[in-house]
Amino acid sequence: MKLLPLFFIELVAFLLIIVETYAFFILVVPLGPIPHSITDYTSLALLKVFLIVVLGAVWFFVLDELTNLYVRSKIGRSPTLSS
Amino acid sequence: MALGLAEGMSLFITFAVPMALMLLLMPPYLKYLRRVGKVSDDMHKTPPVKVPEPAGPLLFVAALVGELVAGWFFHSLIPVAVGLGAGVAFAVGLADDLYVLGGKTKPLLLLLAGLAFVGMGGYVQNLYKPDLTFPLLGDTSPHFIIYTALAVVAFPVVANAFNMMDAFNGEISWFSLLTSLALLVGVVLHQAFSAGFSTARVASVLPLVAVSMAFLVYNRYPARAFDGDSGSLMFGAMFAGLAITGGVEVAAIIAIVPAILNSFYTLSSVRGFVERRKMRSRPTFIGSDGLLHASTEKDAPNTLVRLVLLASPLSERDLVRSIVALTAVACAFSIGISVLTWVY
Repeated sequence: MKLLPLFFIELVAFLLIIVETYAFFILVVPLGPIPHSITDYTSLALLKVFLIVVLGAVWFFVLDELTNLYVRSKIGRSPTLSS
Repeated sequence: MALGLAEGMSLFITFAVPMALMLLLMPPYLKYLRRVGKVSDDMHKTPPVKVPEPAGPLLFVAALVGELVAGWFFHSLIPVAVGLGAGVAFAVGLADDLYVLGGKTKPLLLLLAGLAFVGMGGYVQNLYKPDLTFPLLGDTSPHFIIYTALAVVAFPVVANAFNMMDAFNGEISWFSLLTSLALLVGVVLHQAFSAGFSTARVASVLPLVAVSMAFLVYNRYPARAFDGDSGSLMFGAMFAGLAITGGVEVAAIIAIVPAILNSFYTLSSVRGFVERRKMRSRPTFIGSDGLLHASTEKDAPNTLVRLVLLASPLSERDLVRSIVALTAVACAFSIGISVLTWVY
């Protein structure tokens, strides 16, 4: 039972990986019409990089927040002190 | 697909040879390591005990022989490609065991493992399929360049994730065994429900399962052998290569979620690649009660172990049980994903 919050974090990580990997390969990679000029090509590539960064940031933010919440709740309650 | 007797025997031998090598050669190898003074302090015992390290060279030899046996029986170079990627990671790990590489040097050198593996794609037809298969949704369209780039990067990422799961007695061997079993289930289901999928891909997973299983005998609490970075990086690189050749990337990522979280916690709290021996503050400490405690210092790096110990102080054995429980749940998710992907 003590591991339940960690199992929950694991579940969230699992769901985010599935959804975001799917979004990456299905939505981001094939995004947009075939570029006809170098400007189109660069803009499309930059847009894709931006979307990938957003996907990574969402994963990072959600898990960081969940973990901080867990750590704060435990440290507030913990009787242990580091030596 | 139904396996013939000859194919079944070949699979059995592919599993049995590395297992037998490990069980027969490990005792004399550990004696040799002790004799030449290659021992490390087991820091989580009071007082610290000396344990032979690195067992990685023997783990690699056993795994490589297993892959060569698989390649020979199934007339395929796929197991050789897996062995090559694992071999480069092993060499990087051995250099780290002997000379201690920097926090950034190691991941950079591990890219060579990925490059060696994808380089074998020039010699091995259909070494990997450049797409992912999702549960219920099916295949994505193939993207050779993006997939290949991700495959190269996967080697340092996964190898380092395995390396970071190597801190306590039995942790890496249990982790490697459970995740490789989940991987095996995925590859077997892929083989069973996909036309034209080679049995060589199933066979190449078996040496990893066998070596992890045999190593558990020596690495479980109280440990009689440590694998060293040469062993843990080799396990990780082999896992990455097998996930790619087996076409079970999504299920494989899910199986190693505890290691991914562990790496994420460390990277996000330390803010970068830092060699663990150079971390300023320790995430855990041994209390006067002999139990492992989570550090409550504000700048203590977060690791999976620290998060587990924040729930309550634990003995080393119970701590590893908790990590095994987290890994087992991730592997159950992974097997669920494999069933949804290949059976439905």
